[in-house]
Amino acid sequence: MIRIENLHKNFGSLEVLKGIDLTISKGEVTVIMGPSGSGKSTLLRCINRLEGITSGKVFIDNQDVADKKTDINFIRSEAGMVFQQFNLFPHMTALANVTLGPRKVRKMPSDKAEKLGRELLGKVGLADKADSYPDHLSGGQKQRVAIARSLALQPKVMLFDEPTSALDPELVGEVLEVMKQLGREGMTMIVVTHEMGFAREVADRVIFMDGGYIIEENTPKEIFTNPQHQRTREFLRSIL
Amino acid sequence: MEMGFDFQYSVMWESVPLLLSGAKLTIIITVFGLVIGFLLGAITGLMKISRNWFVRKLAGLYIECIRGTPIMVQVMFIYFGLPMALGMRIPPMAAGIVAIAVNSGAYIAEIVRGAFQSIEKGQTEAGRSIGLSHLQTMYYVIWPQALRRMIPPLGNQFIISLKDTSLLVVVGVGELTRTGQEIVASNFRAFEVWLTVALMYLVLTLSLSRLLHFLEKRMDINT
Ligand SMILES: Nc1ncnc2c1ncn2[C@@H]1O[C@H](COP(=O)(O)OP(=O)(O)OP(=O)(O)O)[C@@H](O)[C@H]1O
Ligand SMILES: [Mg+2]
Repeated sequence: MIRIENLHKNFGSLEVLKGIDLTISKGEVTVIMGPSGSGKSTLLRCINRLEGITSGKVFIDNQDVADKKTDINFIRSEAGMVFQQFNLFPHMTALANVTLGPRKVRKMPSDKAEKLGRELLGKVGLADKADSYPDHLSGGQKQRVAIARSLALQPKVMLFDEPTSALDPELVGEVLEVMKQLGREGMTMIVVTHEMGFAREVADRVIFMDGGYIIEENTPKEIFTNPQHQRTREFLRSIL
Repeated sequence: MEMGFDFQYSVMWESVPLLLSGAKLTIIITVFGLVIGFLLGAITGLMKISRNWFVRKLAGLYIECIRGTPIMVQVMFIYFGLPMALGMRIPPMAAGIVAIAVNSGAYIAEIVRGAFQSIEKGQTEAGRSIGLSHLQTMYYVIWPQALRRMIPPLGNQFIISLKDTSLLVVVGVGELTRTGQEIVASNFRAFEVWLTVALMYLVLTLSLSRLLHFLEKRMDINT
């Protein structure tokens, strides 16, 4: 589904990813953890090419995302991205946020897009907020709209970059609940998060990154109870 | 012998019809000048944030030249200077509209650039990540938000440009100021006539700012 081979990413002279190899199969839920600055966001952003790749390869469904022949807009629509800061379009209602992609990228007729949009808002528990503007939604509600907005393109994989870190603690649960449900439905997901509960419950695999390398990867059970590396142990202790 | 100043209301009233026809020209020049100026400003404003070095510099050159020279000199150059180079006369009205357009365009460019750059990067990223192209992201996501932020500074510039039309007196366009000058030349009642002219400008600028205020409020409903 997703194959990353020897991925390097530099920002000027700063090397942020130092050779990442990773294969993710369909339906797998992968959680990425690691200290600040370890390159987690950059890795996600290289997958849907919000950042250019310095060297190495990234394939989504056997399509090379860096290939000149690949339609990058199409690739991006196949890899939904959910941001820490939600990034909802503030001048559009929740429903319009969700239907923009289907209408403009998938060229879906408005009535079909609206039906799909309402369905997805219902799925994230916000059927009654379709006509609200983002300014009138709580953080948790905004993030759920953002998830629906990505789902509206029926992506093959969903990338989450610390989706709950900007939320008040009491709003974290409602977002995680939606994500758990997605995982159970078989969505392929890569989630950067430090929510151990979420990882334990739905992740098939946890990856620990540090300093631009993947240091360790294992099932959540193994990595949390029996971390192999000193850095992983220290990190897990620090977030507990 | 009566030395006191005798204020004559009637002079004010009598000058109104002529001044109104001058005001009409002022409005026409302002509207056409600003419509073209806005297009010019939008284009150069976007050029200023282009990824292409040459395009950026070109826009910068235009903006610097206009902002660094007095509008009076620009008007003179367009009306008296350019015809010598082009070998043809430019009608005063056209020269006036071009001067207002070219001048306001440079200031509007900076307003457009500032508004675009004030939109958070996350908005572009969100647009791109749902598969919108660069142009689609600009059009559906960034432009509507930038436009709303532009309205207050644009309103400011519109009012400045409206007042700047009075400089066109030097090329002989019969706009409001020129009309006032002609009336004073025939009746020597400078106080009453210039007072009336000033009041008319005030009505025009106040109406314009009401209009923009109304627009701003309407766009705010959608947030
Ligand atoms: N656009 C950029 N230009 C220059 N440096 C960048 C850029 N984006 C990220 N970096 C740097 O790359 C490194 C990795 O950043 P990244 O955002 O991937 O880390 P992260 O693991 O997501 O951290 P956090 O937990 O704080 O989000 C950091 O040192 C950061 O300063
Ligand atoms: Mg990050």
